[in-house]
Amino acid sequence: MALLEVSGIDVFYGRVQAVRGASLTVDAGEVVALIGSNGAGKTTTLRTISGLLHPAGGKITFNGKDITRTEPQNIVHLGICQSPEGRRLFARMSVLDNLRMGAYTRKNAVEIKRDMERVFELFPRLKERSNQIAGTLSGGEQQMCAMGRALMAKPKLLMLDEPSLGLAPILVETIFNIVREINAQGTPVLLVEQNAHKALEVAHRGYVLETGVIVQTGTGKELLESEEVQRAYLGM
Amino acid sequence: MIGALARMPSTLRTFGGSQVSNLVGLLIVAGALALTLQHVLQHSASFFFQILIIGIADGTIYGLIALGYTMVYGIIELINFAHGDVFTLGGYFSLALFPIFGIAEGKAGFGYVIPLLVVAAITMLLCGVVNVAIERVAYRPLRHAPRLAPLITAIGMSSILEGAMYLWRGPNSLHYPDLLPLTRFNIGPVNIGVKDLIVITFALVLVVVFTLFINLSKLGKAMRATAQDRDAAQLMGIDINRTISATFFIGAALAGAGGITWGLYISSVDPFLGFITGLIAFTAAVFGGIGNIPGAALGGLLIGLIRAFSDSYFDSSWTEVLIFGILIATLVFRPTGLLGMRVPEK
Ligand SMILES: Nc1ncnc2c1ncn2[C@@H]1O[C@H](COP(=O)(O)OP(=O)(O)O)[C@@H](O)[C@H]1O
Ligand SMILES: [Mg+2]
Repeated sequence: MALLEVSGIDVFYGRVQAVRGASLTVDAGEVVALIGSNGAGKTTTLRTISGLLHPAGGKITFNGKDITRTEPQNIVHLGICQSPEGRRLFARMSVLDNLRMGAYTRKNAVEIKRDMERVFELFPRLKERSNQIAGTLSGGEQQMCAMGRALMAKPKLLMLDEPSLGLAPILVETIFNIVREINAQGTPVLLVEQNAHKALEVAHRGYVLETGVIVQTGTGKELLESEEVQRAYLGM
Repeated sequence: MIGALARMPSTLRTFGGSQVSNLVGLLIVAGALALTLQHVLQHSASFFFQILIIGIADGTIYGLIALGYTMVYGIIELINFAHGDVFTLGGYFSLALFPIFGIAEGKAGFGYVIPLLVVAAITMLLCGVVNVAIERVAYRPLRHAPRLAPLITAIGMSSILEGAMYLWRGPNSLHYPDLLPLTRFNIGPVNIGVKDLIVITFALVLVVVFTLFINLSKLGKAMRATAQDRDAAQLMGIDINRTISATFFIGAALAGAGGITWGLYISSVDPFLGFITGLIAFTAAVFGGIGNIPGAALGGLLIGLIRAFSDSYFDSSWTEVLIFGILIATLVFRPTGLLGMRVPEK
């Protein structure tokens, strides 16, 4: 049994269907990439897993528990946390308060403090800026803060929506290295990216989403070598 | 006017308070201050201080009410028109509770401190419950409806509350017992009443406690997070329905406390008190910067002072024109208010 199992979900915005019968799984210890062009339905898929949207059809289970209709706050309690597209920090709160909000569902102050140290080790930059108002951070720092905030939930599954979007190449490199490191420390990651090349390099497995339909799946290496993927997403 | 209010958030984004309008605003303020100064100099200093104290006392009460408007606006972008009536309800509830706790006019003394605080606590609780119920039945089902819809139900809820108070105690203004000591004393040219001091202290303590709560408590942070980004708040595990209910509860509790304070200070309440007082407090919230908590307290104080000075140095029949002129000028020239947002929205 996979950790996260999404089976055949249909998601609508009003009458417009954004995701059509998509299925994917994430196993313990994995990094799974979900790639696809702009508007393919990647964000919609993540928002549905997080419970912000509910699918019209299909089923989502996490650790064997049906979460198809579960409310977002309860999904966080169960251990899924995401760093959403566009960072979505609490712009008028300090970096420290943003990180604390990440730990909103947790009680154990000692563990929270320990994880805060861990986040500061992953992102030393955040420690320097911990009292700065989040809205005034640079794009890269905001992304680090958003990832750190999600990590503060101590998720059993971390979902990242376009963490490299709009970042300078050197920062993109840093972000993907940190994804590797987070995974090496034991957290499974579902990674949504338009930067297919980088994402598939990091990922154990990947899925390709096209206009709401999963059209291809395989290991990261297989997808990197696939002709269709190369043509459509790697610009070769 | 309602249409303009419904569109307000988009106005918030398009206007930025240009250089020219800032300059014009400064000139108007400078002119008004000069005119006021001229009038002030024609009267005695002790009169000035008396007006100042009335302005501060009224202003802190307006601030208490404005906090509820601003919090609710901050979290669901709704102007809760029923809020002013929840304030009146605070007066009515406390009036009904006084006999139960053996509180009556004419026997004022230290023995009343505890029962009065108990009545205040129960009143705040009741007002909170009423406001939470209003949100639950009248606003939550419309959360995804066009913005005008909840605004109209808010006006409807306001009429319902006013009607309920009318039916309960009749149309006339009710005498609110004089429970605070009437002693006055002088500090130099300043003649000040113990009553003024108590009212100002009580309101200020509530504002300070509330500010600490919003900034430091977990629930307060959840409220701010939900106001800043509702989806992100949900993604952090915040139950936004509970948080919104808490916002309505706390806003109403402060308004209820405001109702008691008002009664004790002014000595009367009537079913429609909340209509005009609510609009003035709403103006204070907009003036200070709607959605901004220190802004509401500051706006309340300033509007209280403006009202007191306009009433006594100029002509009280112009006061409302002046205050609503400020409301309109703020909406047109500086929709983010005096303090605005410290950081622009994403
Ligand atoms: N809030 C929304 N309302 C209506 N349609 C939406 C909304 N959000 C996304 N869509 C549509 O759903 C489709 C998938 O969008 P999205 O999941 O954001 O794609 P991606 O993240 O892959 O770029 C797109 O066609 C987009 O226009
Ligand atoms: Mg997206």
